[in-house]
Amino acid sequence: MESFKEGILQVVSKIKSSVLLDTKELDSIIRELQRALLKADVEVKLVLEISERIKKRFLEEEHPPGFSKKDVLIKILYDELVNLLGGETTEELAIKPIPYKIMLVGIEGSGKTTTAGKIANYFKKKGYRVGLVAADTYRPGAYDQLKMLAESVGVMFYGDPQERDAVSLAKKGIETLEKAGAQIIIIDTAGRHKDENSLMEEVKVLYRELKPNSVFLVVDATQGSAVARQARAFREAVPYGYVVVSKMDGSAKGGGALSAVAASNARVLFIGVGEKIDDLEPFVPRKFVARLLGM
Amino acid sequence: ELDPKAVEEVSSTYVLKLVEEGVALEVAESIFRDLSERISGKKVGRLENKKEIILKEFRRLLEDLFSQAGKIDIWQRTAEAIRQKGYFTIVFLGPNGHGKTTTVAKLANLYKEKGYRVTIAAADTFRAGAIEQAQYWASKIGADFVSLGYDADPAAVAYEAVKRGEKGLSQVVLIDTAGRMHTKKNLMDEMRKIVRVSQPDLKIFVGDALVGNDAVEQAKTFYNEVGFDGSILTKFDADTKGGAALSIVYITRKPIIFVGVGQGIRDLKEFDPEWYLEMLLD
Ligand SMILES: Nc1nc2c(ncn2[C@@H]2O[C@H](COP(=O)(O)OP(=O)(O)OP(=O)(O)O)[C@@H](O)[C@H]2O)c(=O)[nH]1
Ligand SMILES: Nc1nc2c(ncn2[C@@H]2O[C@H](COP(=O)(O)OP(=O)(O)OP(=O)(O)O)[C@@H](O)[C@H]2O)c(=O)[nH]1
Ligand SMILES: [K+]
Ligand SMILES: [Mg+2]
Ligand SMILES: [Mg+2]
Repeated sequence: MESFKEGILQVVSKIKSSVLLDTKELDSIIRELQRALLKADVEVKLVLEISERIKKRFLEEEHPPGFSKKDVLIKILYDELVNLLGGETTEELAIKPIPYKIMLVGIEGSGKTTTAGKIANYFKKKGYRVGLVAADTYRPGAYDQLKMLAESVGVMFYGDPQERDAVSLAKKGIETLEKAGAQIIIIDTAGRHKDENSLMEEVKVLYRELKPNSVFLVVDATQGSAVARQARAFREAVPYGYVVVSKMDGSAKGGGALSAVAASNARVLFIGVGEKIDDLEPFVPRKFVARLLGM
Repeated sequence: ELDPKAVEEVSSTYVLKLVEEGVALEVAESIFRDLSERISGKKVGRLENKKEIILKEFRRLLEDLFSQAGKIDIWQRTAEAIRQKGYFTIVFLGPNGHGKTTTVAKLANLYKEKGYRVTIAAADTFRAGAIEQAQYWASKIGADFVSLGYDADPAAVAYEAVKRGEKGLSQVVLIDTAGRMHTKKNLMDEMRKIVRVSQPDLKIFVGDALVGNDAVEQAKTFYNEVGFDGSILTKFDADTKGGAALSIVYITRKPIIFVGVGQGIRDLKEFDPEWYLEMLLD
């Protein structure tokens, strides 16, 4: 918390705030924050909502004694952003019942297949018997990609490059892996976006027929606020509960992903920080918010 | 006279609008600074609508930006290179998952349709399934395929493919490379080596139309550290006005050559600045 505060103070000091923090100064600070959020790809609409809320809280809430106005403003900003991300604490995913089925969905190229491999690795290391199902029957090489990942992680795999029907393939895959003793079954699906109607229809059927215990939306951190619209559409088709933000090892701040989270009731579970199988980290809201604000 | 104040009034709304469409904030702001410079002091008649004049000038500024970035007539360049040395080489580069391999396939298909003998080089020797993906497209399209397997030196793969051109076995050599984050120095070094070894006629940056502010860092770093002649932006079919295209052109002053509009082999359109500005400013 301390270094985070220092970081924000940097933003704030950029506008040479005096001790007073009158409404004029408050407005100027809010503008600076808006720029930081817009630069980080947070949706315009959300930026305006957040800044309104911060301003309102700052002006209306009683300030705790012993804190400077500036401290209070910083605390409010921090709270608001962390709240959007589902709060300070990150829970572990509760793996029950067993077998536990996880389905990965998302836009083309967002990182689903790679993330499937990373998650398999993560749970294998925790001692689970894991299986991967290659239910992307569209993208050339998708089967080979997941198979190679399964082999390098050392987990079970089901796929069928001849099968065109993702639903019956996935059903068979779940059945087969369950019989083979898999405790966690991870289903990789094809990339799609909200205007690809038949693909969106397919993912609905997958959800209905496979009844996954949880759905992860994989969001590419380099993509901008446009992913929030995509997230809303996915939310309608498949009520995902978790988000994985991939490609956080680049320079992007992840505000598009934040907007995607805000557009749903989901929470971020992991971030992807590289192409390799170990490049997966549990999500820490505080760190994410600090990066978002450019600290 | 048009004063900076009037420009500022219009610009604050338009900067937000551009940012909403995915243009990077610093690019949008910079464009409006350019605009302000361009029109401050400009005389307007008493009855003219200031706002309209500003917006007209704004559009003209963007048109100028795209026309200064120039145009790459890829077919003419291809024909010319083939006349001179027998073959034409393109290296594709860009961030992870933004559409390189699919775009290579789309272009290979166009070249095939024009009657060229095409080679696809699988110089992504890192990502799981990358070789099978490229190979699938090559055989579907009827292009020749060069691979040295996984973990091979990508520059060696590129070199092998170029040799096919030198020997007269192929007229068009398309080199697919692994996606990489511009922040990884070793991967940028590797990219430079691929370019050094293959001496391409064209280097094309493949980006994603959904990218937001990061387009600036991506384009800057790839451009400064490897260099490219133009860009192709994919996923224009995905509910976006593709503000990233403006960011990239503004940063690099290099043209967008094509846009990807779907996952199919024919989903590639020549980039038309008129169409783009119409859509972006609509
Ligand atoms: N640098 C980096 N690259 C990543 C990360 N996660 C995934 N990638 C890369 O992103 C690219 C796309 O990943 P995939 O897993 O194929 O994406 P996908 O969503 O399955 O793609 P489709 O199946 O085509 O929709 C690959 O090059 C991956 O190596 C990450 O956290 N960091
Ligand atoms: N909707 C849509 N999808 C596209 C477009 N171009 C590519 N894709 C999809 O995006 C995903 C990633 O494309 P690839 O061609 O594998 O991307 P890449 O840059 O080669 O990825 P890496 O090699 O892993 O870095 C695939 O699912 C493609 O089908 C496009 O214009 N529109
Ligand atoms: K939320
Ligand atoms: Mg995939
Ligand atoms: Mg590729």
